[in-house]
Amino acid sequence: MSRIYIPLLLLFLFVMEGIAYDFIPSAMLDKGWLFIAHWAFIFIVLMALFYDLEYTYYSILAAVIIGLMTDVIYTDIIGVYMFAYGLVVYLIHGMRKVLHANFFVTLLLVILGVTLVDGGISFVYYFIGINNMLISDYLLQRLLPTLVLNVIVFCILYLIFKNRLSKWSVQRFDTKSS
Amino acid sequence: MFTILIGIIILVGLIGFSIRDRQSLTAPEQFAKDAISWMQQIIHTPVEYVSSIITNLDDMKNVYKENQRLKEELSQYQQTLYEIQELRKENEELSSIIDKTDSDKLDAYHPIQASVTARSPEQWFQQVTINKGLQDGVEKNMAVITGKGMIGKIQSSSQFSSTVLLLNGFDRSNRISVKVNLPNQEEDASGFILGYDKEREALLLEFTDYDREIKEGTFVFSSGLGGVFPKGLEIGEIKEVTMDQYGLSQVAYVETSADLSNVHHVIVVDRMMDTSTQGVTGEEEE
Repeated sequence: MSRIYIPLLLLFLFVMEGIAYDFIPSAMLDKGWLFIAHWAFIFIVLMALFYDLEYTYYSILAAVIIGLMTDVIYTDIIGVYMFAYGLVVYLIHGMRKVLHANFFVTLLLVILGVTLVDGGISFVYYFIGINNMLISDYLLQRLLPTLVLNVIVFCILYLIFKNRLSKWSVQRFDTKSS
Repeated sequence: MFTILIGIIILVGLIGFSIRDRQSLTAPEQFAKDAISWMQQIIHTPVEYVSSIITNLDDMKNVYKENQRLKEELSQYQQTLYEIQELRKENEELSSIIDKTDSDKLDAYHPIQASVTARSPEQWFQQVTINKGLQDGVEKNMAVITGKGMIGKIQSSSQFSSTVLLLNGFDRSNRISVKVNLPNQEEDASGFILGYDKEREALLLEFTDYDREIKEGTFVFSSGLGGVFPKGLEIGEIKEVTMDQYGLSQVAYVETSADLSNVHHVIVVDRMMDTSTQGVTGEEEE
């Protein structure tokens, strides 16, 4: 089942990112705050923590594919999102050995992940010359609103999918070994 | 560690590949864009329906006031309409005298209706996706307008969808040749839109001649001389006139007429006069 559901869910979240702009109240946009939706990424982090086993790397594959799609469809420059998503999910996947995943640890990892991804992307764009924001402006105007938006979405996704992902993981990988 | 190094190499290669000024997209890119745009359209339609109901409820509060004002304006429009009819007739007569056909006019264009299906979540790229592509005649660099004014130009188009670069994402590499309507003088002031000033949230306009008196609140139109955009597309209204940082030329800040953060239905402007043939005939005449 998870073979079909997970790609479909990822695709749905990815498409929703393109519509996210419509949901954000325009009063907040007028203040110059940038809200960047990393919803598919959050789902991939959940995947890395609850779906993947230590020796399976489906979440990283998903991160690279979704990153590449974001690059092609939503931006002009290919490679930035792909690399940032892939690398950060790889780090989080590595961390699951050390950490016991409950809600707060996951929340912390999502905040860390989104910060790293968004910081990394902005850093690369700064070098290419697309982003010319000062670092203090960046922290206040882009990182903070982005974190708030993504943490809200994370709470929703966590409630809906945490148990399901664990269940799918058991179904998928146990039946294979037996 | 090794994979990360290879990743960095691929990253740099891909950035290098995609950052140069490309004429058209590669086939896989076009396919991905079309497929996603199609899905976005399916999801976007109900979302837009709901959000439009909410805005409608919001609008209802002002209905009475607006109605009063519109009635006043309507009576004025009747008169202008009559004037326009007369002028158009006269224009047609004069044009027929000098054998000028429709396709020769700088301001003639062929409209292509389209709907916005998505907006880039990465907000440093001011891009929206629309649901018309090469198959519908949409090509790179065409102007995109709404009922209120110009909103941007086509950045890239694939077979069934296209990406629009909004005016607030413009920089020096995509300048627009514009004219400013001066009410009391015969000639219009001309200039270029150089880009978008993010701090002032306005377009930067540089005038080619600098000793004109330009008032705030005058309208800025595209001049049709830039090559791709037809003449007479409304771009915005002048907010402030100053000198540039060296004091050599006059610049103005232009507020866009169209609301760039709330775009749903757009018109892609396909200029009727073929720019390439225009160049050829121009050379022949000389």
